[in-house]
Amino acid sequence: MGESKLRSVYPTLLPTRRAFLSSALGVSAYVLLPDLARAGSGGGIRALAFDGDVLLAAEATLNVSEDNGGTWAERTTPGKVLAMATNPDRPGLVAAGLEKGGVALSADGSATWRIGNAGLPDGEVNALAIASRNPDLIYAAVRGDGLYKSEDAGETWTLAMDRPWLKEAERDPLTLASVDLETGMGGIWIYAGTEMGLTRVPDCFCRWQDVQPGNAMDALVSGDAPPPENPLPDGEPVQSLASSPSAPERLYAALPSGIWTSADGGVVWTQVALSAATAIAVHPRDETYIAAVIGGTLKLSRDGGKSWTATAAG
Amino acid sequence: MRPIAGMFLAGIATAVIGSFVLAQASPDETAIEGLTFLGEPVSEDDLIAGKQIYAESCASCHGENLEGQPDWRRRLDNGRMPAPPHDETGHTWHHSDRNLFIVTKGGVQAVVPGYESDMPAFEGILTDDEIAEVLAYIKSTWPERQREFQAEVSANDRGGL
Ligand code: HEC
Repeated sequence: MGESKLRSVYPTLLPTRRAFLSSALGVSAYVLLPDLARAGSGGGIRALAFDGDVLLAAEATLNVSEDNGGTWAERTTPGKVLAMATNPDRPGLVAAGLEKGGVALSADGSATWRIGNAGLPDGEVNALAIASRNPDLIYAAVRGDGLYKSEDAGETWTLAMDRPWLKEAERDPLTLASVDLETGMGGIWIYAGTEMGLTRVPDCFCRWQDVQPGNAMDALVSGDAPPPENPLPDGEPVQSLASSPSAPERLYAALPSGIWTSADGGVVWTQVALSAATAIAVHPRDETYIAAVIGGTLKLSRDGGKSWTATAAG
Repeated sequence: MRPIAGMFLAGIATAVIGSFVLAQASPDETAIEGLTFLGEPVSEDDLIAGKQIYAESCASCHGENLEGQPDWRRRLDNGRMPAPPHDETGHTWHHSDRNLFIVTKGGVQAVVPGYESDMPAFEGILTDDEIAEVLAYIKSTWPERQREFQAEVSANDRGGL
């Protein structure tokens, strides 16, 4: 998209107005909110992300906490945020999928934003991932359309793949995660949670496929006992997924039945929380530190989900 | 190509694919520089044969010029994916020689159990030699970057799928 067109659509978001921006959306917007203002909320949180130690929670507005959920500051975004992604190799980088369409990108931890939507069709961007090994490579799911990718940090986008096909229909990804496990095709995996369960696609976008143990075919042929599997509950929506860069085979998933975790890239899952969960994020350097919305409340766990504490607000 | 034994296809691949032997290269045949299939050199004759097989058995879906079906990133109404290009605009070059061989011989379900696709299994239709030749031909059309990438993927292929 040319700058003039951009200017007409997002007049306040041009780099030329950076000075204005940082005061309008930056420091001055960083107001400490009284904890009680949103006490008991958390149920409205659509997305969670860790930018280093900073926890971001997208509700009607975007809130950030630098003290593990103790206190929160509100940030202004270019629109309502449905999905967020970060990358530990580029601190401060936040990609946000917008309800009105398009992807908002921040290089300063959500203080200021630019819009990237050249090549993206209209429609909610309701799931988003940044490639684990390349912060310039971003994936965005457009509701009702397909999976798009940008190789230039969100400036321009192209269709990568149609939506996954599960249980006799095309399904919207509700969440995406770049999972730094080798596909054997010269790249890594992108996992997607859909309303009908989990699926994944290699980052060459050859095909959506179920998560299967690496040696499943060997067992099939040799007649050995099949490797153990315990998939997520059949047909249940996977609302949110997280894979920690520090231990990519460790996955977390938020489902109506609760929080589930896998230590082997999604073959065997165990349940670690029993109330309906809607959003989850894992700390980039500590795969046992997770934030999740469980039973409508934002909670943190420092032990991989064994125990949880509610935050002041979210 | 010199005879290729099934030893390249360890484990499951051997069981599914069996072994195959490529046409014995005649002494005057010269190997094409920088092109192998399953580790074996590829000759001009292999490519001529492969091109012919491609035109007869693959082009109807994957396109006369390897360009794939129109709009191949979008699902068909039946939920299946169209035939992707085999040139550098597709993703064929992300797969190892072994993977390409298994997919062509056994269909996509041979590498992704339970997967439904319109890609036929060519077992019993093409010989192992012919499959190797047509894939060698496809590889010969790729630019340097894709060839190098795919050579590395093949080198790293430790037998998993
Ligand atoms: C009837 C149509 C049809 C014919 C004929 C056909 N293919 Fe395919 N092929 C497909 C479709 C459709 C796919 C995509 C399958 C999917 O991903 O769902 C495919 C996929 C493939 C793939 C996997 C590509 C990748 O990157 O994952 C290979 C390799 C392949 N075909 C090789 C061949 C070869 C070699 C021939 C000829 C000997 C051939 N095909 C003939 C329809 C066809």
